[in-house]
Amino acid sequence: MTPGQKPKRPFGLGAYLLLIGGVSLIAGVMGGITAVVEEAPDPIGPVVSAVAMTATMAAAFAACIWWWRGIDEAAREAHKWAWWWGGTGGTALGAILLTTLSLRDAEATPLQVGLTVPELVTAGMLTILLFQIAGYAIAWAVWWLRTR
Amino acid sequence: MNNRLKVLRAERDWSQAHLAEQLGVSRQTVNALETGRYDPSLPLAFKIARVFGQPIEAIFIDAE
Repeated sequence: MTPGQKPKRPFGLGAYLLLIGGVSLIAGVMGGITAVVEEAPDPIGPVVSAVAMTATMAAAFAACIWWWRGIDEAAREAHKWAWWWGGTGGTALGAILLTTLSLRDAEATPLQVGLTVPELVTAGMLTILLFQIAGYAIAWAVWWLRTR
Repeated sequence: MNNRLKVLRAERDWSQAHLAEQLGVSRQTVNALETGRYDPSLPLAFKIARVFGQPIEAIFIDAE
């Protein structure tokens, strides 16, 4: 920035919505491609699915870098704080809850709950992720509310 | 860390939004700085000092 030049305005809600919308669009397209090739014989189906998921992750990562560079330092600090305290706390809470509930009936078989073993593993992973994101969101809101 | 941001801003009759624009940060960040909930990085502290035309130590007060 040259002297006298106005500093760049940091990203606001509009950029965030653009990020979410753009990544959702890419994820939707890639999800559609995966659904089309799902029934294709090996190795076409799994390879195309893996490539589509990798491309989606790469696009999301690139979009996050763009957005991260556009927000100001306090906004970054809020996210870092929220990720550490909220994300870690949420993960711990989710893991404790999931383990406690799972061990209530350790003899239960996957058939009894109506899910296959891979579906159960994925559901467990997504449940922990959900708790992590919930903890992150709560901690992020707390960080900003404390500054009011 | 305590600071005199709110006083300096009031002396100039600037709004938080105006100061935020001068610094290239959001209005919420200016608020976080003024309440002392967030301590700025060195580059931002220098920028604040430049905007107010005062040395850093005249704006930020070490509480220790």
